Amino acid sequence: MGQTIAEKILARAAGRDRVSAGEDIRVKPDYVIAYDFPGYTDVIFRQMKEEFGIDRVAEPDRFALFIDHMVPATTPAEEDLHKITREWGARNDVPVYENVGIGHQVAAELGYATPGAFVVHFDGHISQLGTFGTLAIGVRRHLLEAFVKEYIKLKVPQTTRIDLTGRLSPGVTSRDVFHHIVRTLGPSACRFHVLELGGDAVADMSLEARQTINCLAMFTGAVTAIMNPDDKALAYARARQRKDLEPVFSDPDAQYAARHRIDISDLEPVVVIPPSPANTRDLSTVTGTEVHVGYLGSCASGRVEDLRLAADVLEGHRVKPGFKLYVVPTSKEIMSQAASEGTLSRLIDAGAFVTSSSCDYCFGRMGVMTAGQRAVSTGTLNVRGRMGSPDSEIFIVNAAAVAASAIEGRIADPRPYLEG
Amino acid sequence: MALANLRGRVAWVFDEPDFDVDQIVGVKNIKIKDVDELARVAMSEYDPDFAGQVRPGDLLVGNLNFGYGHPHYPPMIAMRHLGVAGVVAESFSPGYWRGEIAMGFPQVACPGILTAVGRWDEIEVDWSAGVLHNHTRSTQLPIEPLSESDRQMLEAGGLVGYLHARDRQESTS
Repeated sequence: MGQTIAEKILARAAGRDRVSAGEDIRVKPDYVIAYDFPGYTDVIFRQMKEEFGIDRVAEPDRFALFIDHMVPATTPAEEDLHKITREWGARNDVPVYENVGIGHQVAAELGYATPGAFVVHFDGHISQLGTFGTLAIGVRRHLLEAFVKEYIKLKVPQTTRIDLTGRLSPGVTSRDVFHHIVRTLGPSACRFHVLELGGDAVADMSLEARQTINCLAMFTGAVTAIMNPDDKALAYARARQRKDLEPVFSDPDAQYAARHRIDISDLEPVVVIPPSPANTRDLSTVTGTEVHVGYLGSCASGRVEDLRLAADVLEGHRVKPGFKLYVVPTSKEIMSQAASEGTLSRLIDAGAFVTSSSCDYCFGRMGVMTAGQRAVSTGTLNVRGRMGSPDSEIFIVNAAAVAASAIEGRIADPRPYLEG
Repeated sequence: MALANLRGRVAWVFDEPDFDVDQIVGVKNIKIKDVDELARVAMSEYDPDFAGQVRPGDLLVGNLNFGYGHPHYPPMIAMRHLGVAGVVAESFSPGYWRGEIAMGFPQVACPGILTAVGRWDEIEVDWSAGVLHNHTRSTQLPIEPLSESDRQMLEAGGLVGYLHARDRQESTS
């Protein structure tokens, strides 16, 4: 019987020929990644030393730390946290990446998305490394285990396979595709499973578009998402990969918990209604709703194509006076590219507030809303209080719809702006 | 070491599927650090007298995909402070599940639980028999088994205890 890509990666990382879904195994992560955040890294560093008497991690090359939340620091306490992280990194010979962007994206830029590698993080959005055939799982506080043990224990997850077919219409993006998957299959369709995506629609998609989908896997209940790396993914990843590993691929006769096929040809732009990532509808059901803030950015969206699309929508228009459009490119590399090709100028000239990469607009630390305000956002999540007051609301939409809504001050369909 | 049975009353039934646990304390209170204050505000939207009625050992019951969204730790810190001993739900969202198991807080997947119990029923989770008893109604339902590491983590009272136990095991094997 064949194996899935996830099973093959876990088998190699466990030092075994094969593993099967449901088995409890010991597995050695190729990379252990974290960003500094109160309650996570500070606690891990302290527990390592005080509870386990470990001063330094054994193989520093396996570890990477990012400073991407609370950037730039606005209080001495935040800067203290960053200082602790930098000092811990220096003491451990573990790289600390700062001012280069959102770690989940930068991890791919820096080659941690090695095809065939197994990665753990505490944050589930690391799943986006699956774009490159890397199995990357967010384990929350269990990450401590990877800091104090060479091997972590894991139950091999089952895999649910989704084949996407068809072609997207203009103004509809992979962001819409992801939320359409949740709408079609439900918010728990892949609970505790690996979500494996493929099909001709995925093959047609850019890497950026795939990263968006894989980033959000947790909202299907999946523990991560992965795609069998094609030439496009391998070309990107192999030029950057940090480790010599053979990429692996699902066998044709691999066992899946379920298989689904979703045609995206007739998909319209969608919206995720507050306050749950489970509430996906067609955008047309809420167009005209007054909105006050637009956020284009995050580890899910905010890459070059998103920025270009928003700039195309805004071409010849301006952000409505009083409306705040925050544009936060996902990484420094992305920002630099968007700047050199002129995309950033187009956004700035249209009235966007463009800032260097940071996670802070997504989780309500910057650009916050007060009670009664509403946002259109490409952030990861629309739960209450995520972008400020618990009495503000977040409508998740694609990058083009953020831009169109910024022009009108109301939730707007971007497609008319892209015609002609 | 075997896991001790959980026995207590159903302190609340969250019948909403995909329940976002942050609602237990309310998003505006999610940053409260003081556990007494957290416990005071917990459940106020559901039953203002919850803290007065709940007893040590009581259990919460949830619907499908309990803990969906972006779960934070304070709601269940508050629940434990009030004596709640665990959560039994139709099914759980993985992020929430991992987070609470790491805290040593028992979570029990029990398909059918929602229609099998009412508030204040006396229930018991028998881990070794793989069964949930409703003593009030004299009924029982199978529970889903824990993975090896989840079971060991609950036995050890959480992640740190579990890793110490593994240290001891590895040094003697």
